[in-house]
Amino acid sequence: MVTPEVRFLAAEKIPTLLKRLGERYRVFAPVKVSETTVLFQEYREGVQIVLDRQTTAPAKEIIFPQTERLLSYTYRKDPEDPQKIELQVEEAPQSAPRTIIFGARPCDARGFRVFDSVFTAGPYEDPYYSSRRQQTTIVTIFCTQPQNTCFCTSVGTGPTDTEGSDLVLTPITEGYLAEAITEKGKELLQDEAFVSAQERVEEAQRAKEGIKLESELDLEGIPQRLMELFSTDFWERVSAKCISCGACTYLCPTCYCFNITDEAAGLEGERVRTWDSCMFYQYTLEASGHNPRPTKAERYRNRVGHKFSYHPINYEGMIGCCGCGRCIKSCPVSLDIRQVLREAKAYG
Amino acid sequence: MEILDKLKEDIRGELEGVSLVIGWERGYDSLHTTPLFIRCPEDIDRLIWNPLCVHNLASYLPWFKGRRVGILVKGCDSRTVIQLLQERLIQREEVVIFGIPCQGVVDLAKIRARVDCSQVRGVSFKGDKIAIETPQGQRELPLEEILATKCISCQYPTPLIYDHLAGEAISSHRPPGLLFAEVEKIEKLDPKERFAYWQQELQRCIRCYACRNACPLCVCQDFCAADARDPHWLSQKTGIGEKFMWQILHAIHLAGRCTDCGECERACPMDIPIQRIRKKINKEIKELFGYEAGVNLEVTPPLYTFQVEEPAIKEREW
Amino acid sequence: MSGMERKELRIVGFLCNWCSYGGADTAGVSRFKQPTDLRIIRVPCSGRVDPLLVVKAFMEGADGVLVSGCHPRDCHYAEGNFYARRRLEVLKRFLPFMGIEPGRFEYTWVSASEGARWQKVVTEFTNQIHRLGPIRRKGDGGGDIR
Repeated sequence: MVTPEVRFLAAEKIPTLLKRLGERYRVFAPVKVSETTVLFQEYREGVQIVLDRQTTAPAKEIIFPQTERLLSYTYRKDPEDPQKIELQVEEAPQSAPRTIIFGARPCDARGFRVFDSVFTAGPYEDPYYSSRRQQTTIVTIFCTQPQNTCFCTSVGTGPTDTEGSDLVLTPITEGYLAEAITEKGKELLQDEAFVSAQERVEEAQRAKEGIKLESELDLEGIPQRLMELFSTDFWERVSAKCISCGACTYLCPTCYCFNITDEAAGLEGERVRTWDSCMFYQYTLEASGHNPRPTKAERYRNRVGHKFSYHPINYEGMIGCCGCGRCIKSCPVSLDIRQVLREAKAYG
Repeated sequence: MEILDKLKEDIRGELEGVSLVIGWERGYDSLHTTPLFIRCPEDIDRLIWNPLCVHNLASYLPWFKGRRVGILVKGCDSRTVIQLLQERLIQREEVVIFGIPCQGVVDLAKIRARVDCSQVRGVSFKGDKIAIETPQGQRELPLEEILATKCISCQYPTPLIYDHLAGEAISSHRPPGLLFAEVEKIEKLDPKERFAYWQQELQRCIRCYACRNACPLCVCQDFCAADARDPHWLSQKTGIGEKFMWQILHAIHLAGRCTDCGECERACPMDIPIQRIRKKINKEIKELFGYEAGVNLEVTPPLYTFQVEEPAIKEREW
Repeated sequence: MSGMERKELRIVGFLCNWCSYGGADTAGVSRFKQPTDLRIIRVPCSGRVDPLLVVKAFMEGADGVLVSGCHPRDCHYAEGNFYARRRLEVLKRFLPFMGIEPGRFEYTWVSASEGARWQKVVTEFTNQIHRLGPIRRKGDGGGDIR
């Protein structure tokens, strides 16, 4: 029997589907964790799944964890000769378990595409990221209701973009039309929760066509423009209200900067990789005490420049932003990166 | 004269003598405001004043040390200015204070808990209600339900320090008994439940330090103890222990200094009720030393001084 | 008294160099019997004890923390313990709010001559911590490949 690539998934079947998948995969889904926050969490029976809005934090953490152990080490003193110290190192496994991200958004998927260009496309492949990426199946829900902060269509993706996803779901009455994009996606469709789509295909098509999010930003020439502004006071002006916290970067699906430190306690320790943020002073602080980005102006310039200038220049035009708008929505002072880009075009 | 008109007029009069004036303007949609840096007379037109002007702009003052700047303050914000002056972190002659008698500002998290705000089309205020327009229709909420927690127990609606006051001074009609209501709720739990409560809440902390950077009294900023490798107060990990340690570190460094402006909690992108941690210390400081931060310019903050006999401290006998 | 059969807990003591450390020494020299759960860290003055040292000790798994300095008015540095008293009192009232049981942290004053008082303090405090039992667990962070 050939597995059809388009199936219907009833909304009410989702808990049982996730439970069944949980027997073979680690399954993450958007879970309500407080009155106002929805986060991707490993699915457990009884949690409240929320699929009708963007999660507070993106799915990034699942493939690129905020803290990741690279190795553990132990120093052992020789009881006979205390001068002799033996070092034992145990490396973290580089093979990830099979994982499903259920209920991602096209912007989440796009975020991983940006990561791929850095972590898997070479010349150096990141084994930890690669393994998790390969082992993860991304089930994406198309966005029917773009938020005020959404601007995905301006950065080369969109509410019905399938790129980076393995299976996509179009919300229709009482459920979703599921379309497999990759082999990994097809595999999921074999579950009994997915039933014949029959006449629902047309409804889904109409639903998709009904989704409107106009591209509102003209990014033509912006990579060069930002370079021209590099040494101007533009950055001091636009970053004046920035408080230099890391909310934008840590909630950003495309921010991948990390730090590697040894965290020791006594004779034992771990080498960990943790997220870092270019908005922090310590990010570029050098051992000499010199800091090439001493104020928030240089730091904010880096954030905008990296996404809209350096990344597209280095990676065949791909903008290092997925337009999810979390940096706007979650910014304590509502600093709007779209407005900054508009002003960059008009400045001077 | 309307408060906004008076503010604009006062700012116009002072603008020449300052490098900028910090106020609020409309943000990316009608529900959100954003800090406005007024540098020229044309910028003044963008100024707004309404219950959406949530930011404590005094957070910016230490950044401008050495320059004379103007700042708009609500009653609560003025306490920050006083505390900064008390600690000599800013100079009085370097700030021009535009005070606003304030009836309360909103808590956006409380609104978000009641209304889907992702597609807000318009916001208006009708008497004691806020009307929020969304594609699903208009929702009216009583302001009283969505005011910031600090406003419900506000004792200082009129700024305690100012050079210009926009409008008539008003006095508080809020019961002081509510000041620590949320703290008292947690105090009623037993220690194990309290630990579990904080564990659950702090779990979702992403260590972005928005709470720190939004805090107007976190003046160490780029040189925070939390970022030090030696002493190694916190590791780079994201475990619950680090999250506890950070919150306690922040709260302790604010002991006797926190003016209860709530910026930490407001800034938190994960909506963690962290102000309660600072508030608990405020409560103890008040009980022990009868002190409230940022209300009296002349007094020394309690942990910067001592008494040989401490009447409120009952030491343990062994 | 801590019996030999009792499992030792981890108790950290921050003792000032001039009084309490001397007091502990006096107790030792006088061969006063004491429980052995307490690990002493000698500090110049109780005023040196940053409340965060206490918090950090708990976070790293201490079951109890004791700070002991010179009696008020007897501080070697004249007023270090006056500042300490205020800070430590605030800390003592605050820690239970975060879920650390009252009684896990205490501060007190023991002079260099008070060997017997030191014995009493350390014994009572140790017993008190044993009544509370071990603290939940080390707040460990980090993640493996999940």
